[in-house]
Amino acid sequence: MRRGVLLAALAALTLSAACAPSVPGSSGSSGGQQPAPSDRLTIGTTADVLNYNPLVGNSRTDSWVTNLMYPHLTQMDMTGKRVPYLATEWSYAEDGKSATVRLRDDMKWSDGKPVTADDVVFSVMTVKKENFGVVAGLITALDEAVAVSPTEVRFDLTRPDGTFLDNVGFWLPVVPKHVFEKAPSVQKFANDSDWVSAGPFKLTKVERGQRYVMERVDGFGPGTPAVKEVVFRVFPDVNTEVLALRNGEIDVIGNVLPPATAAELKNDPSVKQEQIPSLGWAHLQYNVKRKPLDDVRVRQALAHAVDYEAIRNIALKGYAKSSNSSVLTPSLPEWADPASKEYTFDPALSKQLLAQAGVSDLSLSMIYDQADPNIARWAPMVRDSAKQAGITIKLQGLERNTYVDKSLKHDFDIYAGSWAIMDNPPANLGLAFKTGGYINYGQVSDPKLDALIDQAQKALSVEEAKPPIQEAARLIRDQVYDNVLYVETFNVAHNTKWTGFKPMPSELLSIVNPLSLAAAKPAG
Amino acid sequence: MTAAAVELTPRLRTWSAFRRNPLGVASAIVLVLLALVAVCAPLIAPFPEGYGADTSQPPSAAHWFGTDDIGQDVFAQVVWGTRVSMAVGVSASVLAIVIGLLIGVSAAYFRRLDTPLGVLVDLSLSLPVLPLMILVAALAGPSVRTLAVVIALFSWPEVARVVRSQAIAIVPMPFVSAAKVVGGSSLWIVRKHLLPGVIPVVGVSVVLTTSRAVLAEAGLSFLGLGDPNSWSWGTILHKAQQSGALATAWWTTLFPSLAILLLVVSTTLLSVAYNDARDHRNSS
Repeated sequence: MRRGVLLAALAALTLSAACAPSVPGSSGSSGGQQPAPSDRLTIGTTADVLNYNPLVGNSRTDSWVTNLMYPHLTQMDMTGKRVPYLATEWSYAEDGKSATVRLRDDMKWSDGKPVTADDVVFSVMTVKKENFGVVAGLITALDEAVAVSPTEVRFDLTRPDGTFLDNVGFWLPVVPKHVFEKAPSVQKFANDSDWVSAGPFKLTKVERGQRYVMERVDGFGPGTPAVKEVVFRVFPDVNTEVLALRNGEIDVIGNVLPPATAAELKNDPSVKQEQIPSLGWAHLQYNVKRKPLDDVRVRQALAHAVDYEAIRNIALKGYAKSSNSSVLTPSLPEWADPASKEYTFDPALSKQLLAQAGVSDLSLSMIYDQADPNIARWAPMVRDSAKQAGITIKLQGLERNTYVDKSLKHDFDIYAGSWAIMDNPPANLGLAFKTGGYINYGQVSDPKLDALIDQAQKALSVEEAKPPIQEAARLIRDQVYDNVLYVETFNVAHNTKWTGFKPMPSELLSIVNPLSLAAAKPAG
Repeated sequence: MTAAAVELTPRLRTWSAFRRNPLGVASAIVLVLLALVAVCAPLIAPFPEGYGADTSQPPSAAHWFGTDDIGQDVFAQVVWGTRVSMAVGVSASVLAIVIGLLIGVSAAYFRRLDTPLGVLVDLSLSLPVLPLMILVAALAGPSVRTLAVVIALFSWPEVARVVRSQAIAIVPMPFVSAAKVVGGSSLWIVRKHLLPGVIPVVGVSVVLTTSRAVLAEAGLSFLGLGDPNSWSWGTILHKAQQSGALATAWWTTLFPSLAILLLVVSTTLLSVAYNDARDHRNSS
């Protein structure tokens, strides 16, 4: 412990010495003691790892660290298309009732055992049996997983489900069967020491509240990482991380920069920012079970009373894209519908629509998470633009737990929020807009929409799923079941001393995903 | 002893002593000015709402205190913030004083209540105030009224303690016993004899509690528990911090902080000056 702190202090000292103008005649750094900068990549984060069990953990820092230790079947490219990781090939059977995945044969757990189909089967079947975590909700179609050979897994499904491979590939971490099966309950297994992992880096030292040291794995399947050591350092907030980056204490800020900070850092020659598309979107949802929001004209009036352009340009400083009021966002170009048009900001039209609906003196309350800086910035803008249409919106900036609670209980008129990762439209729209869907906060219940989403989920290819899902998205737009404001462009900053990152969409992957950190190398 | 010798009423004497203290007078003027700003806010600046193209501009002739990250005028925010900050401060302090007076006087006058009320006061004083305030404010939902009540609920024990210690010295006085002997009701004695005796300490308490309440309001709003539909100094700070521009846009934090400083320093100086003026033994 103590030595670690000393080392860190020494590193900080030498780094700051390197930054300071050299004093003539005092050539202090007489070689040897300074660690080569190319050996260590330091990433700033704002939280500790709370859960080392990748099947359970869900905070951002949890995922960043465990993603480097436990492989997933697939990763995705910048357009959201799945790319190989542990899996090399994947496909559905003709009837869609089973899916096959072929695995790499060169991945090893850190105790020397190979990563095989048994591990994949164990991981997915455990989640199904114990029914926990994100993955469980996405694999409801799974009947049985079978290891056909050490490098081939077959998933038998109860119904055709074209979202299955995307979901399992992206969300399921593969854990070592021979370690996790010893736990009486995998869900309760803490996995907080003696880690057996198979990613590009292995966790070797943990200093809670300080840092997490991860060492490179020689012979990592997709290619041995260039950097010897990756260190996650814990900071109180993004502001301090920015200072640390500028001082050269850290090389990458894991967290997304607030738009104002990103705009300001643009002029710093020692910092490079990678633009990462969000897989989610920011939106307003109207509680369609409440009067007068059950009238589509009232919802349209509200949609016409939002100044979308101003929110993107002022609150987000231009780091946001229009999604043309569609839930199929430009981050997933494969799915996006170019015909969709954004609602215009037109208070006069709003007034007209309200008059048609016979509603006057409309007064609504809007809940949002007070701690979300972007939303806290644009929530007053939504209120002020609605005022121009004669609509009163009362802001209720809530503490996060109260906010989540109210959302789940549908206890609101307007919900302002954002979804983090919607990586597969048929699956995600099902959760968000199908009758009784888990995150269907606005209580949408439309049989036509349900049928379209079902049809898209059954389709086994994007081509086949696209027509129904686009029609569903048009329905959602026209009925204002969701009012999509923007898709954020995340800015992730790193030191110009590093290059070779492989950015992937979403803040979960960004440039700290395993394949990116394995490829990162010192510049020049 | 000396009271009999001088003819001037104590109130006049306090006033003349107070007038001779320049710091006290200056503080009083500052407070009156702040109160004027609070009352006349609509005449000074338009309510800060909407958004503008001039985002994060440093102070200039057009925007005296600069603009924030969505282009709102910080001067207008501070002016309107004065209103809410002082309203919360004053109403919380009035509420706290009323509760404190009731409890302090009852503890002093009704001896049987002294112990339980004393325990209650001690208990309340030993509570971790900030976390509890945060909890209550978070549960009750953010609004100006919630803030005032929450702050009052956690500020009365100090008033109660001061009032009790002053009142307990008055209760054994001969005139109180005399009032009892002639058959005065408890309520009448408390009203006619006890309250006038404790009012001077309460005067100081009002001022100090107000400044503490303003600070508490700023703290809670800074933590995001303020009313999003109105502006207070703490809310301005909160928004500045949230925008991530703390380090560069110094004007968004400096001016509301100065306003808080001004109010707290002047209330403190005022109460010190008033205390000194009231204490006739010091005025040669």
